[in-house]
Amino acid sequence: MSSVSENFYTQVVGKLKNWARINSPWAIHFNSGSCNGCDIEILATLTPRYDVERLGIKLQGSPRHADVLIATGPVTLQALDRLIRVYEQMPDPKFVIAVGSCALSGGVFDGCYNVIGDLNKVIPVDVYVPGCPPRPEAIIYGVVQLLESLKKGQKREKIVVPMEVPDLILEEESNGNE
Amino acid sequence: METSELLESGKFLLEKWVESENTPEENRLDIWVSTTNFKSAVQSLVENHWGYLVTITGMDIPPVTDPDDNTQPGQLEAMYHFANEAAIITIRVKVPYSCPQIETICDLIPSATIYEREAMELFGFDLLNTPNTEKLVLPDSWPEGVYPLRKSFTNLQDLESTTKEQTND
Amino acid sequence: MTKPKVEKFIVPIGPQHPALKEPGNFEFTVDGEIVTDAAVRLGFVHRGIEKACETRNYIQDMYMLERVCGICSHVHATAFVLGVEKLAGVQAPPRAEAIRVLASELERIHSHLLWFGVAAHEAGFDTLFMYTWRDREVVMDILETLSGSRVHYSVNVMGGVKVDLDDKTSDQIKKGMDFLEERTEYYMKVVTTDETFLGRTRGIGTLSRERVDLLGAVGPTARASGAQRDIRVNAPYSGYKDFPVKIVTDETGDLEARFVVRLKELYESYRLIKEILEKIQPGEITTRMKRKIPAGEVISRVEAPRGELFYYIKSNGTEIPERVKIRTPSLCNWGTITDVAVGHKLADMPMLLVGIDPCFSCNDRMVEVRSGSQTSQIMNWDGLRKYGIEYYR
Repeated sequence: MSSVSENFYTQVVGKLKNWARINSPWAIHFNSGSCNGCDIEILATLTPRYDVERLGIKLQGSPRHADVLIATGPVTLQALDRLIRVYEQMPDPKFVIAVGSCALSGGVFDGCYNVIGDLNKVIPVDVYVPGCPPRPEAIIYGVVQLLESLKKGQKREKIVVPMEVPDLILEEESNGNE
Repeated sequence: METSELLESGKFLLEKWVESENTPEENRLDIWVSTTNFKSAVQSLVENHWGYLVTITGMDIPPVTDPDDNTQPGQLEAMYHFANEAAIITIRVKVPYSCPQIETICDLIPSATIYEREAMELFGFDLLNTPNTEKLVLPDSWPEGVYPLRKSFTNLQDLESTTKEQTND
Repeated sequence: MTKPKVEKFIVPIGPQHPALKEPGNFEFTVDGEIVTDAAVRLGFVHRGIEKACETRNYIQDMYMLERVCGICSHVHATAFVLGVEKLAGVQAPPRAEAIRVLASELERIHSHLLWFGVAAHEAGFDTLFMYTWRDREVVMDILETLSGSRVHYSVNVMGGVKVDLDDKTSDQIKKGMDFLEERTEYYMKVVTTDETFLGRTRGIGTLSRERVDLLGAVGPTARASGAQRDIRVNAPYSGYKDFPVKIVTDETGDLEARFVVRLKELYESYRLIKEILEKIQPGEITTRMKRKIPAGEVISRVEAPRGELFYYIKSNGTEIPERVKIRTPSLCNWGTITDVAVGHKLADMPMLLVGIDPCFSCNDRMVEVRSGSQTSQIMNWDGLRKYGIEYYR
C-alpha cells in the first residue's frame, strides 16, 4: 500500500471516529475519596430532570468502554492506585473531567493525612468543574465544553467551567443536535 | 424507665470494679476500671442486657513534663460507650504506651470487631485475642507502627515519603 | 455471562465506594451459588477527618464535618453543633431548633427517596429508579430554595441557623409535601404488592431481633426487625422535644420490612414538616456564641436517615477541639451484612447491600472474580447486578 492512500485512510477513519465520539461520548465515573455529594449530582444528571442520555452521553461501568473519566473527590492514598489503574485501562484518546472543589484543589480535605490533594497531581485533567458540589447543569456544561473543543480541532487545552453557567444551554444543545 | 433509673441500674451492675466515676452530663456515667477487671465489667453489662455497644473511642494522652521535671509517661485511653435509650455508660480503660494491651470483647459482642480494628490501626492498641487484625481504614501502603491519631503524628513528613514512593512506581 | 466453573470463589465487591469513611470492599466466599463467608475492608475514602478536626477551629470543623457525607450532610453538622453548644452552655432559640428539625426531615426524605431509587435499580426495576429520582428533585428544589444549595445546605451556624423560613418557601414546601405524599402511596403499593419486586425482597436477608442486639444494628435496619431504636424518640434532641415523632417499626426483619419501614418513615416526615410549618413561632434564629469553648467533653447523638449518628467531642478550652470521634450509622450496619450474607445466593448480594442503605450512590464499581486456581474473571458491579436480575428472571 502506498503511503499516500494509507495516510488518506487513517485521516478518514480518524475523522469518522472523532465524529462518533463527539456525538456519543461514553463516560465512566470514579470516586477517589469524595463525600458523595458530587456523585449523587452526577447520578442526578442521568435521571429525568436532566437526562444526559438525550445528548448521547452514557454513563458506562467499565473503563475499557469509556472515553471520558468523570472523577470526583480528593485522591486518597488507598484510591490512588485504583484511579491510575482505571485511567490506564481507558482506550486513547481519553479525557478527564474533574468535578467538584475537592478534585480541583483538595477542597476542605486539603492537608488531611490520607489525602494526596487534587486530581491534577495524579492524572492530566482536561475540564475543571468547580462547586461544592457543582449543579448537574454545570457538570453537563463541562461535558459540552469538552465536546465543543473537540469539534474545533484536537488541540488539548484546559477548560475551566465558570461558576455562572449560562441559562438554557441544554435547550440550545439539544436543538442543535436534532 | 427513666434515664436516671437506667444509670442507677447500670452503676449497680458495675459496682464491683469501679475505680473512679464521673457524671459529665445528666444522662451519662463515666467509669474508670483497671485492665484486669475490664472484661468482667463488660461481661456484666452484656449478660444483663444493659443497652448495646455504640462504639469504642480511642484517646491519646501524650507524655507531660511538669515544672518539677517529673515526666508523666504517655498513655492511651479506650472508651467503650454503652447506650440504653438516653442513658450512656462509658467504661474507660487507661493503658501506658509501653504496654497498650486490653482484652478483646469480640467473644461477648461480635460487632465490636470493627471498632477494635479501627482502634488498633489508628491508635496502636494491642487488643489481645481479637479475631481479625487486618487493616480496616488505612491504605495498604501505610507504614507499620505509625498511628495517625496519636498526637505525636504530624501530617506531612510521614506522608510525603510514602506519597513519593507510590508515585514513583 | 458465563457461569463460574470452579467450585469455590472469593468474590470481592467494590473497592471504590462513595460513602464517607465506609466505602466497602466485601469479599464473599462462595460455594457454587451460596455465600459461605463474608469479610469487609474499608478505607478507600478514608481521609483522616478526625485528625483534621484537631488542627482546625470549631467553625472550620463544622463546615468540614458537613462534608463527611454528601447525602446526610445536615445531620453531621447538627450533631457537632449540638455537642459544641452543650459544651459552651448555649441554647439555640426555639425557631432555630425548629428549622434544624425541618432541614433534618427534608434531608431524610431526600435520602430515603435516593435510597429507594437505587434499591429499585439493583432489583432491575429501572422505571421505579427514574420515578423516585424525578420526585426527589421536588425535595432538592425545596432544599435549594431554603438554603441555596442542593447538597451541602450549611443550615447550621454555632448557636443557631442561618436560613429563615418565609411564607413563599412555606407554601412551596407544603405543596411539595402534598405531591410527595401522593407519590409515596404509589411506591407503597409497588413495594407491598408487585410480584416481581416481592420476589427479590420477601424473606431475603432476615435479621432477627436477637441478632440486631448482638450485631448492634441501628436505624431502619434495626427497626425493621422490631427494635425500638430511634434517637429522635429515645433521647429527643434539638427541636424534636417540641415536635415529637412516632417510631416506625416492623416485625419481619427481611428486606421487604426495611422497604416498608423507610416508606412509612417518609409519611412521618411529611406529617412532621407540615406540623412545623403550622406551629413554628416567630423569633430570633441565632444567639451569641463564644469562639473559645470551655474545657469538657460531650456525647452528641442524633438520628441520621441511616440510623444513630454518634459524636464524641472533647474540648481543652481553646478554639480547637482536642478530639472528635465520629461513629456513623453505616459502620454499625456493615456488621449485619457479613452476618446475614452467609447462606444466601450471590445473586441476592446487591439487594442485601442496598438493604442497609450504605450510602450507595455509585453503581459502577469493579468486581473481580478470583478463583483458587489461576483462572480469573473480571466482572463489574453492573455485571453482578445483571447476573442477579437474570438469575431471578
